[in-house]
Amino acid sequence: MKSLPVSAMLRLAWRNLWRNYRRTVVMLLAIAVGVWAMIFMSALMRGMVDEMVTNGIDSLPGYVQIHQLGFRDDPSINNSLQPPGPELLGALENPLVAGWTSRVRVPAMISSERDNRGVTLLGVDPAGEIAVGFDLDNIVAGRFIGSPQDKGLVVGRKLLERLETHLGKRVVVMSQDPDNNIADRGFRIVGVYKASLEGQEENFVYSGRSHVQSLLKMGRQVSEIAITGHDYRAVDELLEIIRAASPPGSEVLPWMELESYLYGMMGMMDGFILVWTIVVFLALSFGLINTLMMAVFERVREIGLMQALGMKPSSILYLILMESLLLLLLGLLAGNILAIASILPLREGIDLSGVARGMEMFGAGSTLYPVLDLHDLATANTVVIVLGLVTSLLPAWHASRYSPVEAITKI
Amino acid sequence: MQSLILILLSLVTASSCAGEINARQLVKDAMNHWRGRTSSTVITMTIHRPDWERSMTLQAWSKGAKLSLVRVIEPKKDAGNGTLLNDNNMWTYSPKINRIIKVPSSMMQQNWMGSDFSNKDIAKSTDLIDQYEHKLTGQRESQGHIFYTVTSIPHEEAPVVWGKEVITIRDDFVLMEQQFWDQDNVLVKSMKTLKVEEMGGRAVASVMRMGKLETPDEWTEIATRSIEFDLELPANIFTLSNLRNPRR
Repeated sequence: MKSLPVSAMLRLAWRNLWRNYRRTVVMLLAIAVGVWAMIFMSALMRGMVDEMVTNGIDSLPGYVQIHQLGFRDDPSINNSLQPPGPELLGALENPLVAGWTSRVRVPAMISSERDNRGVTLLGVDPAGEIAVGFDLDNIVAGRFIGSPQDKGLVVGRKLLERLETHLGKRVVVMSQDPDNNIADRGFRIVGVYKASLEGQEENFVYSGRSHVQSLLKMGRQVSEIAITGHDYRAVDELLEIIRAASPPGSEVLPWMELESYLYGMMGMMDGFILVWTIVVFLALSFGLINTLMMAVFERVREIGLMQALGMKPSSILYLILMESLLLLLLGLLAGNILAIASILPLREGIDLSGVARGMEMFGAGSTLYPVLDLHDLATANTVVIVLGLVTSLLPAWHASRYSPVEAITKI
Repeated sequence: MQSLILILLSLVTASSCAGEINARQLVKDAMNHWRGRTSSTVITMTIHRPDWERSMTLQAWSKGAKLSLVRVIEPKKDAGNGTLLNDNNMWTYSPKINRIIKVPSSMMQQNWMGSDFSNKDIAKSTDLIDQYEHKLTGQRESQGHIFYTVTSIPHEEAPVVWGKEVITIRDDFVLMEQQFWDQDNVLVKSMKTLKVEEMGGRAVASVMRMGKLETPDEWTEIATRSIEFDLELPANIFTLSNLRNPRR
């Protein structure tokens, strides 16, 4: 006994599928909507996490950072570093390094005539800061710091509003020098920057590095050295090179550890997307199993006849599985097209300014940009095909186990 | 003849730079007049708010321009609270917690003992002389006195938020008014002398009121009860141990 050729089986399966086209269309719709939901939702979540990560990295530019041991527990002036020595400078020449800078970073108070707030004062070298990712397009008024000796101050848009002051006005920045004496000086606001997070705009103020060093009487010491690579996901190699060259008593950490919350979120989101896909599939699978079961029960006599005419039980199993496969493939096709068609128009972002404050709380901006990740697309499709076939094994196995005599005589 | 020319010459040079030197000297004299070489004062500070008001009596000592010690005498529950100032450094002591705390830079902008003065106002009162450019901008006569108006503009890098301060000084060096203007030329707050009395051998601004223009019903008034100038103060008075354990 020869089994049927695949092409004949395929034709048979295809025709069987459209014998009860209404049932097939309903099932197709169910699969398509399910797949759409999987892909669309993961794109939204992906978008949110991506933005959180980018915001997080933007707020502390540098994929790898060098600090004095203890700086992270007490970010004060006493935990500062020597500027990079020859060994470290050599390592920073490595092609894996996209840019690096050293900055002074201290907590400070800023006051205007009407208000005062706690901020983080950054003494920066503008060339280096731009190399590690400060975008000059974010300067909305005035200019950025011009040189390490620049005496001007660049503040965030929101901070300016809070202090009720303006570009070109003087403010006082107050901090502490290494002997715990008060170090304060008047600064003129020369520039205003914007950031996607208000918290960032309120927190960071920039001035020239040498100027801040002289204010704080810290010589040539710096608080941190920040290094960027080319891909924020792969920093291990960069980390090793920098770690090997960094001076003793310093701590070299990747952003994953500096911002462990963000990194954790990224890992969690991967798991979450898989769980979400499976949950949607479970709802779907009941529909699938029911449809196939009905298709089998309807055709008990037919199956009996085919067996009586010499069809092997295994061929019947394959036939039912093939029907299921065709159904799944069609559904997936429709679902993927639907998902891509609905994500593409949203490329420009979804405006969430109504809930901006809530979004801000977990570090995302007020515009959500869905991200269509091929990896997520593959996950959804694989889950549906593999689990779909596994689910249809039950009705298919059922069908192949009929005894021909019983089946033919069944009413 | 020669001497006459000399006198004329000196007069010319004196008048040509009189504006600047005078204004700065005037402010300096007013500060010296206010603080003396040393001083010991008892003042009553009244903090007024729309829905409450409270007064406390303070004993204060000062020496030179940099050292001051202030201690609360009344009310009883606050008695013993003290503040020691040495240049720009500030320490507070509270007997209830028996701790001396060095006021960190982050707290310098906060209110001093709940009044309308910030810690910085208290700690930096003499910076007025060096951190500003002084100019005599007006002078008028009334009640038999001449009142000079000095406009003081802070230096570019001075740790001062104001656009300018306008100070009125009477010809006997009593500080009559100190106005704080923002950088858009809007008056933000002012300290006015409401009463001048003869005390401790000189004319003293005995009642002064500090308030913001935006909130006219919130102010702090300082009334001098008694004052002594140029007395001998023991060297150990401006020390942390004296802040904690008063010997005087």
